Amino acid sequence: MSDQFAVELKGITKRYSGHTAVKDLDLRVPKGSVYGLLGPNGAGKTTTIRMIMNIIGPDAGEVRVLGQGRGGRDLSHRVGYLPEERGLYKKMKLLDLLVFLAQIKGVDRIKARRGSIEWLERLGLSDWVEKKIDDLSKGMQQKVQFISTMLHNPELVILDEPFAGLDPVNTQVMKDIVVDLSERGTTTLFSTHIMEQAEKLCDSVCIIARGTKVVDGPLAEVKKGHRGRHVIVAVESGMDSVRRLLDERSVVAKADTYGQYAELELAEGADPQTLLKNLVQAGARVTRFEIAEPTLNKIFIDLVGPEAATARAKGDFANA
Amino acid sequence: MRKIWVVVQREFLARVRTKWFVVTTVVGPLLMAVIIVMPIVMASNGGRERSIAIVDVTLDGFGERLTLMLGAPGPLRARRLNVGVAELARVADSLAGVVGRKELDGFLIVTDETLQDGRAEYRGSNASAQIDMDILRRRLSEALLTERLDRVGVDPTLVAQARIPVEMRAVNIRGGQATGESGESMFWLAYIMWFLLYMAILVYGVQVMGAVVEEKTTRIVEVLVSSLRPFELLAGKVIGVGAVGLFQLSIWAVIARLLLARPELVARLIGLDIGSAQGLALPEIPSATISVMLVFFILGYFLYASMFAAVAAMSSTEAEARQAQTPVTLLLVIPAIMSLMAMISEPDGKMFVALTLIPLSAPIAMPGRWVVSDVPLLQLYGSIVLLIVATIFVTWVAGRIYRVGILMHGKRPSPAEVWRWVRST
Repeated sequence: MSDQFAVELKGITKRYSGHTAVKDLDLRVPKGSVYGLLGPNGAGKTTTIRMIMNIIGPDAGEVRVLGQGRGGRDLSHRVGYLPEERGLYKKMKLLDLLVFLAQIKGVDRIKARRGSIEWLERLGLSDWVEKKIDDLSKGMQQKVQFISTMLHNPELVILDEPFAGLDPVNTQVMKDIVVDLSERGTTTLFSTHIMEQAEKLCDSVCIIARGTKVVDGPLAEVKKGHRGRHVIVAVESGMDSVRRLLDERSVVAKADTYGQYAELELAEGADPQTLLKNLVQAGARVTRFEIAEPTLNKIFIDLVGPEAATARAKGDFANA
Repeated sequence: MRKIWVVVQREFLARVRTKWFVVTTVVGPLLMAVIIVMPIVMASNGGRERSIAIVDVTLDGFGERLTLMLGAPGPLRARRLNVGVAELARVADSLAGVVGRKELDGFLIVTDETLQDGRAEYRGSNASAQIDMDILRRRLSEALLTERLDRVGVDPTLVAQARIPVEMRAVNIRGGQATGESGESMFWLAYIMWFLLYMAILVYGVQVMGAVVEEKTTRIVEVLVSSLRPFELLAGKVIGVGAVGLFQLSIWAVIARLLLARPELVARLIGLDIGSAQGLALPEIPSATISVMLVFFILGYFLYASMFAAVAAMSSTEAEARQAQTPVTLLLVIPAIMSLMAMISEPDGKMFVALTLIPLSAPIAMPGRWVVSDVPLLQLYGSIVLLIVATIFVTWVAGRIYRVGILMHGKRPSPAEVWRWVRST
């Protein structure tokens, strides 16, 4: 059964002195999917990814990558990894560096060279092959980092905050790469705290906060689970005229009123039809009644809560 | 293993291609040439004659005879000025002016009292030149001795016989046989080896530290450890830098051999006359000595390089690492200095034996001891075994610190935290 998952985590836990970065986390990344690991800063995304890569070991739980009970590092020839904090050897020549980074993944020299040159052409860096990394602009260095991640045609690509610090051009390059990877059937797992990007790119998501899972599954299902509870209402006579109905806490959990219309969040178990009936019975002329699909951002804020969405400051571990 | 090899290759090539490597490889032999030529230069006293005046205030002709003796082969050219006691102060002042104009190096004042109590005074621009002063002092006391014996009526031929100097050859015995090498040249060889080992272990150990910090600060380390085990990375790095060290040392060794084979060439290079290079007796370095040096360099380098790597892994910036390296550096410097002192004062003493067995000092002490004295094989192998055990242990601890440390940023960990890293699985 693990064959259908590129990454499978069972009850992994990682404790650091003073706090638990990841707690009893289960996670399944279907093969071929684009999977978003979402969470506020300090939620444990990087720690989780590092455990998947076997850069650090979990204190408890099991990590399976590509159907094997080993971490990504031991499968480095099949996995591409782009950490959040990226660096390059500044004094090395571009091509030498790419070949080296491929070689330590187990790719042989000649293949690595060929692949590097192809990718450098594709991203428009052909003229810089013999230049030192130091001579490259920051944007070019970012492209070099993408190339080193993709060069060996990995089956699984893991990107930690891939869009952080990218200029608009490279953001587009990165998106194109992710789309291209998914079209070729490569599994992509990336972490982000920017929900708009995840919403555009992901098939499946997992939202974590404070080291524990809040929700996961295919994006459509996650959204479906929250559908029907968001309603946008407008009445001819203005929203004040139905204030009493909107304050009915058994039906409406939360109302953001904007004069001409209101965004409502219905109470647990409440039927939108009940609200509509109530409005009509109260004699209001309803001009708009829309059961809205929540944005991922909205789901995120709802589930994680604004207080958890702020980073938890924790001393020594900049990336915990 | 293949991955370690890739790291070794990169590390080696990246270093050998730098200007730093080229510069030190060229400067090294120059330093060596200076070390080799120094004795020649010192023997010929820089090739320059010292011209001094003897201010003779004596009344009985001792000044004259002294001037004559100083004229004997040597770097001193003396001329005598006969001066009355009353004029001494004035003459001394005007001579000081002459010395100031560099027409004279200095002047020696001898009086009648010199003969009785041995007191004399030299004033000159080279008064702090130990070698000049030694020669002058020796000549003066020889002259005094001859003069005194002469005055009590000892036959001058008897005096001349009595003054034939001692010439004792100190020859090393190794394995029950005389080696044919002089003790002094062996000491110099041991000294050079001490210096090379100490410098090489320190310089290349610090380079490993620099490399680790660089990878940490540029954050490339996280990319690397996604493909390599931290231990593979560390091993590759230490071996790579060590290979650069061995490469550089062997370049120097080859150059040194060429230079040693033809000291007259060296002499000519720095403009000395060929004749003065003749007296230079350089010891033949047996291959056993080279093997001992190689073994202890490699083990000592691994021992200290892994400590330096651990220090680097604990630091987030280069400045921090430089600060944190002090304890490790002291751990190298103190045993090195103790070894040198033991080697000079008592090369077969208990202290030196102990230093050659303690793993921290053995890498620097043992090769020197191997050269200057007869080391029982049991002690040699014992020392190697102890050093290997210590190196494995230190590398293991360092590897565990390294593994956790390279991913840590921010404030420096406390000793308790580092201990947790070592123990963590």
